[in-house]
Amino acid sequence: MRLASRRVPLVVGALIVAALALAPAGLSPFLVQFLINLFMLAALAESWNIIGGFTGYASFGNVAFFGIGAYTTAVLLTVAEWPFALALPAGGLLAMAFAGLIGMPILRLKGHYFAIATLGVAETMREIVYNLKITGGGTGLTMPITRSPLPFFYLMLAILVAATLVNWWLSASRFGYGLIAIREDEDAAMAMGINTAFYKTVAFALSGAFAGLVGGVFAYWITFIDPEGVFRVIVTIQMIIMAVFGGMGTVVGPLLGALVLASVSELLSTQLVSLAELFNGLIVILVVLFMPKGLAEVIRKREFSLKKLARNLREYRV
Amino acid sequence: MLALQVLINGILLGGLYGLMALGMSLIWGVMNIVNIAHGALIMLGAYVTFWLFTLWGWDPFVSLPATIALLFVYGYCLQRFLLNLIVRAQLFLTLLITFGVEVVMVNLVRIFWSSDLRQVTPTYAGANFAVGGITIPYVRLWVFLTTVILSVLFLLLLEKTRLGRAIRATSEELRAARLTGIPVAHIYAVTFGLGAALAGAAGGLWGMLFPITPIMGGGLTLKSFVVAVLGGLGTMMGAIVGGLVLGLAESFTATYLGPTYPNAISFGLLVLILILRPTGLVGRRA
Repeated sequence: MRLASRRVPLVVGALIVAALALAPAGLSPFLVQFLINLFMLAALAESWNIIGGFTGYASFGNVAFFGIGAYTTAVLLTVAEWPFALALPAGGLLAMAFAGLIGMPILRLKGHYFAIATLGVAETMREIVYNLKITGGGTGLTMPITRSPLPFFYLMLAILVAATLVNWWLSASRFGYGLIAIREDEDAAMAMGINTAFYKTVAFALSGAFAGLVGGVFAYWITFIDPEGVFRVIVTIQMIIMAVFGGMGTVVGPLLGALVLASVSELLSTQLVSLAELFNGLIVILVVLFMPKGLAEVIRKREFSLKKLARNLREYRV
Repeated sequence: MLALQVLINGILLGGLYGLMALGMSLIWGVMNIVNIAHGALIMLGAYVTFWLFTLWGWDPFVSLPATIALLFVYGYCLQRFLLNLIVRAQLFLTLLITFGVEVVMVNLVRIFWSSDLRQVTPTYAGANFAVGGITIPYVRLWVFLTTVILSVLFLLLLEKTRLGRAIRATSEELRAARLTGIPVAHIYAVTFGLGAALAGAAGGLWGMLFPITPIMGGGLTLKSFVVAVLGGLGTMMGAIVGGLVLGLAESFTATYLGPTYPNAISFGLLVLILILRPTGLVGRRA
């Protein structure tokens, strides 16, 4: 029974991926670009979900890993003249290694302290990249232009599929249950014999690896990166918003969140970039107020009435 | 002699950091909200001072009470009508909602007042005096003295008045405070208003020393947080001590190591202090 119920989403997912893989043939260049952007946001949301959603460690600095991936790939492409096929995995690996190393000390912090420490990591990373010579400092790096967007389309899709599968595996595996146990009660998890430090560090490294891979593809896709453009706090904000909006610690939640937010942001940003960000901020406020468990939970329980949504307020107000 | 100059610079800047962190520490200590929008409140205070100066020619020191009053009202309403709805939810959610507030504030300012760099430049902005080879700009000194006066006033309010006692009681035990007839929702709103007022004052003063932009708040939130943690959470003296420590650390490293890594220094200090003294420099809690 349990196996069957897990097989259905897998089949549905495979069908959606197959349809998406065939899609570029019949779509306008604009829509292909939109889909690449959507895959990127969704993959970032899934990557954040590993540490923020399953493990309960709200990282406010995942953009650091995204940036490391982007810069490693870009530097290897332009300065060392590696082929992209080697530069990209190198970016992902370095981001993973960095996440693991920095995770060892800062994953000992909890709650707010962890959140701000990760914010600090991202800010520090931006400063370092800004001051290094090899990264081009403030002027950034320019990569050769590729004609067709299709390689980026399939790469982003592949990373998204991999990230989603990892989340799916976490949702029903010994390792995933360990992470959830840490989220629910870390002391109890430790008492049950879970090596919490190891679990957390691996989760953080996994999250960093996917963010790094996405960053690498992103860098080559837009062909120009600079510290201000890559290490933007808004990228982290988007990861968090998408995961929270859709439903933290669920597999489809971040996908739902990415779909809704990417679409609306796209519509709004044709007007004004600030307007799209403003909208992101409003969404955060509304989601926290009315559906802190996310859209996926609201849909699953079919609680669409305002009365049900306002229940959250009755519970937490003073 | 250079070392003494750097020391003075650090103390003068540290006072301002202390004032910033005071507001953050208050809101955190009383309501357990880590206010990510704190930097945005500082930014708003800076803009209020800027507009009063540019449109009506109000001297930034003279307009400070107006900035403080406006930010108090703004903070009061924000807590009363928005944050109070969710204040007892888990930490992540309150943190996230202030994050949302920050994004909304920053982008509203961007849309209405543009992203241009702005500066408050009263006629005496460049003036300074020298004592025994040490140069002290008047503005920096007056800003420092103002932060001292405001901090003392605030501490007196918290320690000596009925309102201060109500705030401290609410902070210690919400339910008991309510049972003794303290209007908790109102006190929470007043607390946030006070925090916002302190942030606004810090912003008004900041604008006299540094350029103002809509996104100036992000780094300042990080600094306020670091200072609040450095000193020890919830202890108001801690915020002031922490401010001085950060001011001195930045001043010395900028002189002797170069000014390229300001955030790395705050962050390094933070991690160091969290590992060595998790309760802060003057904190007592076990």
